[in-house]
Amino acid sequence: MIELGIFLALLTLGYGFGQYAERRHYRSIIEREKRLNALPAIAARFPPTEPQHHQALVIGSTVISVDYFKRFLAALRNLFGGRVTAYESLLDRARRESSLRMKQQAETLGAEMVFNVKYETASISKGRGNTIGSIEVLAYGTALIRPQAADTDR
Amino acid sequence: MKYRNPHIPEGINVTKRHPLKELLILLGGALLLIVALSWVFAEFGGGLARLIPFEYEQALVPDALLSSDADSELDVYLTQLSERLQKHMAIPEEIAIKVHFSGDDVFNAFATLGGNVLLYRGLVEQLPHENALSMLLAHEIAHVVHRDPIVGVGRGVGIQIVLSTMLGNPDLNVLGNAGLYTQLYFNRDMERAADAAALGAVHGLYGHVGGAKALFEVIKAERDRMGDGELPAMFSSHPLDQQRLDAIEEMARDNAWAGSGAITPLPAAFADWLKTAALRTESGRNTGNTH
Repeated sequence: MIELGIFLALLTLGYGFGQYAERRHYRSIIEREKRLNALPAIAARFPPTEPQHHQALVIGSTVISVDYFKRFLAALRNLFGGRVTAYESLLDRARRESSLRMKQQAETLGAEMVFNVKYETASISKGRGNTIGSIEVLAYGTALIRPQAADTDR
Repeated sequence: MKYRNPHIPEGINVTKRHPLKELLILLGGALLLIVALSWVFAEFGGGLARLIPFEYEQALVPDALLSSDADSELDVYLTQLSERLQKHMAIPEEIAIKVHFSGDDVFNAFATLGGNVLLYRGLVEQLPHENALSMLLAHEIAHVVHRDPIVGVGRGVGIQIVLSTMLGNPDLNVLGNAGLYTQLYFNRDMERAADAAALGAVHGLYGHVGGAKALFEVIKAERDRMGDGELPAMFSSHPLDQQRLDAIEEMARDNAWAGSGAITPLPAAFADWLKTAALRTESGRNTGNTH
């Protein structure tokens, strides 16, 4: 009985806080994406040859953890198979947040754009079974900085 | 060349489905599956266990585990009462009942593997007369006759197989409750059947069922005294006390059994016997013996 009560409390708390955090995060992501849209992040490996840009490595990293509700939902999903929709939004947020942090770094360097953008994910809970559900999403690329902008910076 | 990031509409990488709706569908499906599989495996496991010969079951329980605290007089009395009751129950030839008595102040009595019945002083000393004691004893004997202890083990194993196969993920452990409630449901059936058989035996022995109800009144009073009240029926292995009382009355009415009659008192020395048993338990504990 007590176990069931604790479970329901955790599930409700996880759902409540998880949904609240998600809504807030998405609002912030969409707003910042609009602002940083002027600074494109491009997947192409070869940067424009003219003008000769200064280059710098920029990285953005996000560590994100699963709430109890999502974890339970995903565990249930494991029984039946199919799309783990509970995790989709979580990873979507992590990817976009990492990309934004990378762009933010590029912006502070006065970059025009970021080239050769790549993403990587790492599970922090490796080997710990289901005890922790945290992942890191890493976005990195080459920031291209116009020579005169970089010169005035120094 | 122009480099730009076009605005990408929301919701492409995320499936738009309300998480609560998803929870409802998945949880409902999982619970249904667990209950259905538990049911099937419990029936199967219980059915297999029923096929185990009684002598094999007896061999599983070493005598030393269930030694009795009763002195010879109490022992003889309980054995004789048990034998008198058994005359009025359909006992298959191979089944042998052994009644044990513990001097511990525990409010309980149970039947376990190998035809062993254990009564605790904590419960027995609250019984007002022999009729109530007979009802208790006959109830436990009925469990043995119905092979409930071994069938219960078989069902438990069946359900555990389902739970451990399905719920390898610790996040889903809480769903195991669904399997356990399935087991409780079976247990309640067993209790009802044992009550019915016991009432028949009490009627056979005394010619009326008066006094049998006293057992459940004692149980109810103890539960009230403990202050935990009655758990909702779903969470309890025994049918609710009131339901058991009602069922007994209904059965007596259906069979046209006399609801009251001369009450047989317990032997005059009964209280002393219980005290001796309590002392024996105490001294056994002090010398480090376990039973």
